[in-house]
Amino acid sequence: MRFRRKLLMLLAVSVLLPLAAVTWIVSAIARSAFERASDERSSTLVAQFRHEFTRRGEEVSRRVQAAASAPEVMRMAIAAAQTSPNYSFFLDDARALAEAQRLDFLECADDRGTIISSAQWPAKFGYKEPLVIWPIAASPFLKQEEMPTGPELGLFAVRGLRAGDRKLYLIGGVRLDRTFLSSLDLPSDMRVMLYGSAGRPFSTRHLITAGDGLQNAQLLAPLIERVARNGRESSGLIDWGHGGEEMINAFPLTGENNQLLGILLVGSSRRLYNQLRSQIRSAALVAAGAGLLLAVALSSWAAARVTRPIEELARAAHEVAVGNWKTRVAAGRRDEIGDLGKAFNRMTGDLLEQRERLLQAERVAAWRELARRLAHELKNPLFPLQLTVENLLRSRRQGGQQFEDTFHESASTLLSEIANLKTIVARFSEFSAMPQPQFQSVAVDDLLSHVARIYQPQLERAGIRMTLELSAPEPIAADPDLLDRAVSNLVLNAIEAMPQGGTLALRTHQQAAGVSIEVSDTGAGLTPAECERLFTPYYTSKPHGTGLGLAIAQSVVSDHAGRIRVHSEPNHGTRFTIELPANRDKLPAAVGTHV
Amino acid sequence: MKRFSSSLLVASSIACAAVASAASRPHYGGTLRVQMRDTPQVLDPASFSSPACRSLWRLVFETLVELDQHGRPQPLLSASWQSEPGNQRWRFLVRSGVLFHGGEALEAAAVVASLRNGNPEWKVLQDRDTVVIETNSPDPDVPAKLALARNAIARPEGGHLGGTGPFAITEWVAGRRLRLAANPTYRGGQPFLQAIDVEFGKAERDQLMALDLGNADVAEIAPEDIARARAQNRRVLDSLPGELMALVFAHDARAPGEALVRSALPFILDRRAMSDVVLQGGGEPADALLPNWLSGYAFVFSSAANAAPARQPRPETPQGSPLLLAYDGSDPVSETIAQRILLNARDRGVAIQIASSSGSSDVRLMRVPLASMAAPVALDELARSLGLARPPSTTSSIADLYSAEKAMLESGRLIPLLELRTAVALGPAVNGWSMLPDGTRGLENVWLVRERP
Repeated sequence: MRFRRKLLMLLAVSVLLPLAAVTWIVSAIARSAFERASDERSSTLVAQFRHEFTRRGEEVSRRVQAAASAPEVMRMAIAAAQTSPNYSFFLDDARALAEAQRLDFLECADDRGTIISSAQWPAKFGYKEPLVIWPIAASPFLKQEEMPTGPELGLFAVRGLRAGDRKLYLIGGVRLDRTFLSSLDLPSDMRVMLYGSAGRPFSTRHLITAGDGLQNAQLLAPLIERVARNGRESSGLIDWGHGGEEMINAFPLTGENNQLLGILLVGSSRRLYNQLRSQIRSAALVAAGAGLLLAVALSSWAAARVTRPIEELARAAHEVAVGNWKTRVAAGRRDEIGDLGKAFNRMTGDLLEQRERLLQAERVAAWRELARRLAHELKNPLFPLQLTVENLLRSRRQGGQQFEDTFHESASTLLSEIANLKTIVARFSEFSAMPQPQFQSVAVDDLLSHVARIYQPQLERAGIRMTLELSAPEPIAADPDLLDRAVSNLVLNAIEAMPQGGTLALRTHQQAAGVSIEVSDTGAGLTPAECERLFTPYYTSKPHGTGLGLAIAQSVVSDHAGRIRVHSEPNHGTRFTIELPANRDKLPAAVGTHV
Repeated sequence: MKRFSSSLLVASSIACAAVASAASRPHYGGTLRVQMRDTPQVLDPASFSSPACRSLWRLVFETLVELDQHGRPQPLLSASWQSEPGNQRWRFLVRSGVLFHGGEALEAAAVVASLRNGNPEWKVLQDRDTVVIETNSPDPDVPAKLALARNAIARPEGGHLGGTGPFAITEWVAGRRLRLAANPTYRGGQPFLQAIDVEFGKAERDQLMALDLGNADVAEIAPEDIARARAQNRRVLDSLPGELMALVFAHDARAPGEALVRSALPFILDRRAMSDVVLQGGGEPADALLPNWLSGYAFVFSSAANAAPARQPRPETPQGSPLLLAYDGSDPVSETIAQRILLNARDRGVAIQIASSSGSSDVRLMRVPLASMAAPVALDELARSLGLARPPSTTSSIADLYSAEKAMLESGRLIPLLELRTAVALGPAVNGWSMLPDGTRGLENVWLVRERP
């Protein structure tokens, strides 16, 4: 990964991580605050409900007391005091009394619990009212009243009247309904509901709301059933859909004998919290975007300040690596980057200078080597020439027939040595005039097979076994004649390295960007020092070598943009490896043809 | 002095007698103001089922035959009738000299047209002044059936239906108002009242208030209010218990459990409490379809029902399928009775739900007025109005009638609960009012005496 990207990622992470953490913390704090506020408001509402419950209870007590003083009730009391009372005339009296006192429920019963008159269920006359049989509650209480259409929750009060030796009871109440809930002073985003049939299978019919009806009311069923099961306060988050979340706190409502009769549901809308959370997220997103933009800007600026000079240095180093030693970088900055640039420029300057000196030294050494080789090469034929000429002169002083014989023999020797001199000169001339490669498509495996066939007889004579392992079917662009010559030189070098016979191996390998050729022998091998000078022109370790064979091979490989390496150990033979690129770009006019 | 005193005494006696005679002697004129709970939407005698409405149509329309207070057919628009052997062909001679309100004479053709409308199952023919009625099966009750409201003789007259009765229609607003004017050419003589003004759709409480305020002369009294009205010293006239309140099932029992519930219900319902407390004596427990005063044998069903409850098994309705009982929500008595049925059923483990709707239900609480003073016709009409099949009978004997009613009761399609009375409270100006046992009012002889302010 490039430094610029790393820098961008680092900056982005540096910006986004703290931002995400802050967002999460702020959201958590907001949620906690809202839940705390919701709990407090619910508690306040429950307290208000209880206060209203008490207030209405007192009101119910007053109304029942007022009903108890009505003339109809006096007549009932008189009837109840009789031995065989006839209550049939009082059927509708409770209803009239309830209407007069604005009570939703009112029943008149004697001290045996027999209902004399019922406002809410007139047909219940003659049936028993359990409340009269049980201990009479002094204060208003919650009661689930059985109605023809199902149970209803009400706030009740009981009043007793003395009727001779008997007593008459009035059980009156008001319905805990929408009107009751509407009387509660609700904060905004809060509502209160009442489930009036706890302990029975959930039915939306028993759910009372202060306002409009509740859709999807069955979502409350698990919460209501949990409270009914445990008898304890509980809460739950209800998702009404379309993002309408509401925290519902459910409070059990119990009657006189602690029987669970109803459940008060206080809902606190999470609309504001969701809005705030949405705003926090939006702000975080905006900040993250801005942070990313800032990271990009900072990374660009840092790249301009840091990475660009470094990239320029890297590019310059690459130029130097490919031989362009005159490469220079800008070094005007007064910081570490500037120092680095100056050091680079100084280094390339030193390298250039050293290279010039090295080239000069190599040039001198080459000339010396050339002179040494020339002297060595020329010294061999010159010595016979000198002996021949001295012999010819000695014969001339002796004169006669002996001179004639010596002259002809000496002339022949002179011509032979001169021819030898010409050959030496021609070889040097040939090396100095190596032609440029003419690229065409070349199947390297075919080329090596061809070389093997050429040298097969010579190998057999030398007692050398040859193995071919060819696996480079893809052709490359090369000059077949030059490549043939380079490989032949390596084969000849191997043959000469194995005067006692051995094994010559020719191998090819297909590589990603070209082919490799291996020529290995099992000869005596070379020392590391010999390996270092092996490709130096005119260097040879053999008594009759010119020292140009491997130099020519290296020259050919170099002209093909390839590389030749040698690996050798004494007594373990030598292995030459030629790596040649495919060079297809150099083959515009030779596509489809190969040798 | 003694002579003078005697003369004065005689004169005073004569004056008092004259005043008394003047007070009891019918007066012509005046408008009778009647308020009613019903809201008839169509001015068609066939649609007037309640006794109150039937009392009205009898003022306007007449039938070939009328029933006397014993339920016996008497000639009205027919002068006489006779049947051929087998009681399948009847001949009714149309009375002559009868005029419709528009002045046209009553002819057999108009009678035939009216009877064909109300009796599609009959073959009604005209034979000069005689109307011939042929029935599909022997029917000894054809004369009594001709006294039914749907067999009133009427003809279109100026946008209304015209009849031959003592009053003619002068104004009709569907469901709200009916004005009748005395028919001066009525063959029985002009009625005492000059007009009758009827307002429909008035609750009983509003009617009583109007009566107390002097805005009405007649107010209906609900059965449960009869005793209270009497206790308030009102002028109350009531009928014998005749209007049947019954549970009518929508279909035959579909499962053994349902059949068991139906058979047990009559014995777990506390009819006495319903009649004594809910109706305040304005009705009586009913175990038969026809009241005992009409059939004469209803007590037989009553004794059988009362003896059985202790032996009845505790019925149980299948889980999750309570009987849905529907009642008329606009009728407070029906609502209270339905609630009492719910309580009685719950005591015996029978699951019932009640609803004041007219939608689909398993059983309905219905009130069916007595349609006729002739018992066989009343039973026929009862079965007809409840959509039940009445077993055919070829004679009008009491045994056939009993068998038919017993079969209807044993069909399991209906359970009689109560027989309700019909009552009215009269204002001080109303005189000559009469009420037949079935609740039908005799308005034709009413006359008014208004106190002068």
